Amino acid sequence: MAEVIRALRSAEEKIRARWSLLGPLIFSSFILAALLADLISPYDPWKRFNPYQMPGWEHLLGTNDMGHDILSELIFGSRVSLAVGFSAAILSATLGTAVGLFAGYFRGMADEVLMGITDIFLMIPQIPLIIVLAAFLRPSFWLMALLMGLLWWTALARIVRSRTLQVREMGFVAGAKAIGFSDNHVIFSDVLPNTLYVIAPKFMLTVASAMIAEASISFLGLSDPSMKSWGTMISYAFSRGGFINGMWWWYLPPGLCITVFVLSLVMMAGILEERDIEPVKVD
Amino acid sequence: MRLCSENVSMSYRTGYFGKRSTILEGANLEILPGRTLGLVGGSGSGKTTLGKVLAGLERPSEGRVLFGGRDIWKMEARDFRLFRRKVQMVFQDPEGSLNPMKSIERSIQEVLSLLKVPKRDWHERTLDMLQTVGLSEELLGRRPSQVSGGQNQRIALGRVLLLEPEIIILDEPTSALDISVQAQVLHLLRELQRERGMGYLLITHSAQVVSFMAHDIAVIERGRLV
Amino acid sequence: MALLDIRNLSVSFETPQGLVKAATQVSLALEYNETLALVGETGCGKSVVVNAIMKLLPANAKVDGRVIYRGRDLLSLDEKEMARIRGQDIAIIFQNPSLALNPVYKISEQVSESMILKKRSSRSRAEEISSQLLQRLGLKGRESSYPFQLSGGMNQRAMIACSVVLGPKIIIADEPTKGLDQSMVGQVLGEIRKAKEVNGASLLLITHDMEVARQISDKVAVMYCGEVMEVGKTEEVLQAPSHPYTQALLDSLPERGFLPIPGPSPSMIDPPEGCRFHPRCPWRRDLCSIERPVQKSTTTGWVRCCR
Repeated sequence: MAEVIRALRSAEEKIRARWSLLGPLIFSSFILAALLADLISPYDPWKRFNPYQMPGWEHLLGTNDMGHDILSELIFGSRVSLAVGFSAAILSATLGTAVGLFAGYFRGMADEVLMGITDIFLMIPQIPLIIVLAAFLRPSFWLMALLMGLLWWTALARIVRSRTLQVREMGFVAGAKAIGFSDNHVIFSDVLPNTLYVIAPKFMLTVASAMIAEASISFLGLSDPSMKSWGTMISYAFSRGGFINGMWWWYLPPGLCITVFVLSLVMMAGILEERDIEPVKVD
Repeated sequence: MRLCSENVSMSYRTGYFGKRSTILEGANLEILPGRTLGLVGGSGSGKTTLGKVLAGLERPSEGRVLFGGRDIWKMEARDFRLFRRKVQMVFQDPEGSLNPMKSIERSIQEVLSLLKVPKRDWHERTLDMLQTVGLSEELLGRRPSQVSGGQNQRIALGRVLLLEPEIIILDEPTSALDISVQAQVLHLLRELQRERGMGYLLITHSAQVVSFMAHDIAVIERGRLV
Repeated sequence: MALLDIRNLSVSFETPQGLVKAATQVSLALEYNETLALVGETGCGKSVVVNAIMKLLPANAKVDGRVIYRGRDLLSLDEKEMARIRGQDIAIIFQNPSLALNPVYKISEQVSESMILKKRSSRSRAEEISSQLLQRLGLKGRESSYPFQLSGGMNQRAMIACSVVLGPKIIIADEPTKGLDQSMVGQVLGEIRKAKEVNGASLLLITHDMEVARQISDKVAVMYCGEVMEVGKTEEVLQAPSHPYTQALLDSLPERGFLPIPGPSPSMIDPPEGCRFHPRCPWRRDLCSIERPVQKSTTTGWVRCCR
């Protein structure tokens, strides 16, 4: 009995170890595909073939109404989708970290003001604002990323602030101040590294939500028609009859790509969160 | 130079409309070079706060802190930096006294770079310091979590010694350590004092530690020296 | 036959730095109604021994030897059987009362919880037994208070009650006095002793402080670098220690002038050859670095030293 349980437990651990590799694996293969799009994509995504072809040897995932090769569209589209996701996340992570660090470290007036601003930003209905702005301004993926970055830093700012409040009370921060290090040194070399593990998972999740938001906005037809992203692919498949005529090879792949990639991000965020729980100390 | 507090009081207000709560009331203390002043009190008596005020880490709500006869909060920036260097504080928690994300070596070098020691001398100075506090070179590559509490506390002390302070404020430097390790650290502190003539303010709740270390004793109770 | 008989228990951990030999051939016996203090410095492996007994070690631990409790080897039990032993036969008292008690439940509820869960007693029966226990521990009239309404010492008692309500035969206390003010130490030890007597149990106390061992224990085992160096009656070990390490530990006590033990603590990955204490021993001879000393009998126990 004991052996069976032990065997089951070790099997469970192995499966877990495997699964934990899955996220990074999917993630890096998507990144590679986006970087090497010119090399691995079978065709130019704008080149026209016979439209409405079923998947076959010529076109692994078929073609759409304009005769564009869907696999090539997917590969090139990943560039735009990932770029929007990551630039939005980088911008919001930088803003959120900076605000959180300074508010938490300096406390007092700086804290009140920065957290006040954060609360104001939290009240803005974000997706509607992005939609309205995207509709009024010239549609562009960069604008979309910029807006999301400028709106989405609030959650991270709060997380980083509360972590900073913890870290600043630790002995080594007081010690560094007593030794005479400047506030800059203490913030960037002592406090920031100890907040990274709350930032990293949140960063991954922001990439994921930015990509989903990009897809939703593109789906509404509010994106730049001169560029292809996974979101625009779904949008065209919908508006030009892919759904009605049951051309699953047209609308399914971009949706799957978004889902799978977002899943891999969530898995990695989970790993990052778990990794930093301190290991049990031996005695 | 001597460090003293004159009628130092400390009170906080909780929130905007909260009551003011007083932590320290009219504290007068004097720390002299080459001598150890033991500050004894139970938990919550305000002894750590007084230590922080004397180290210039917190500004008292009333009263003055004088270093070499001059009010530290009225000093010019340059003099204040000198004060910061000459008056140091070592904290209780041995695990938290060093940044867990940095190797021991990095934690030491960062002080050397603050002191503008040329890079080529870093290794030598680091080894000197380790010898002073009785540690071996093999610790350098490790993180604070990979060395023992007593070793962490010695490294924290060694880092402070690099600044060649005249006065060190020791906040429960050994209370989280094993008794046998506590003995090692206390002996080290006494030896260093004999060699360098530093003044100590030793904050502790242990009467035995105080009677072993201190020349003079002050007792603090609910924010008042008695 | 002892109540708990630890025979040749060895524990090692696989780590990136190498194999950590946390305990090497530890043999100890805990008799009925006895208090045994396991004394040693931080990192000597004393907590590892406790966790091995309770089978609470992390997965990368390799355990050898036998831990015999009432004729059964605990190390061969599966998790389900072990769960029954924990609490009901062997209980651990934890260190920090303010963290171990839940502030939103009355203490009598918290004490009776494990009876309801583990012994399937009815709530009224469980509360009756737990308030009796709380009364015997000196909390009469305070049974239905919340933890924040009680002082630290009272909470300590409530927490001890939680640990021992199932009537364990063995109570284990792991560094119960660490970080406490001197005035609290005696009080906490008193509470633990009372809990032991109320239950008629044996007590295994883990501490780094010789003074604590003197106050409470019948027998002392001194551990250094994963090995038990000396076992004997408390008075003998503390009055006339047979091992130089025990002597050194006693000398580091405040009342003997904080004499430090010379030299650094040994590595657990690459422990010294021969006698593990030889690099720091004032009585060192050539033989000490070559041969691991065998156990020699003393008046009330044994010692692992060639002197």
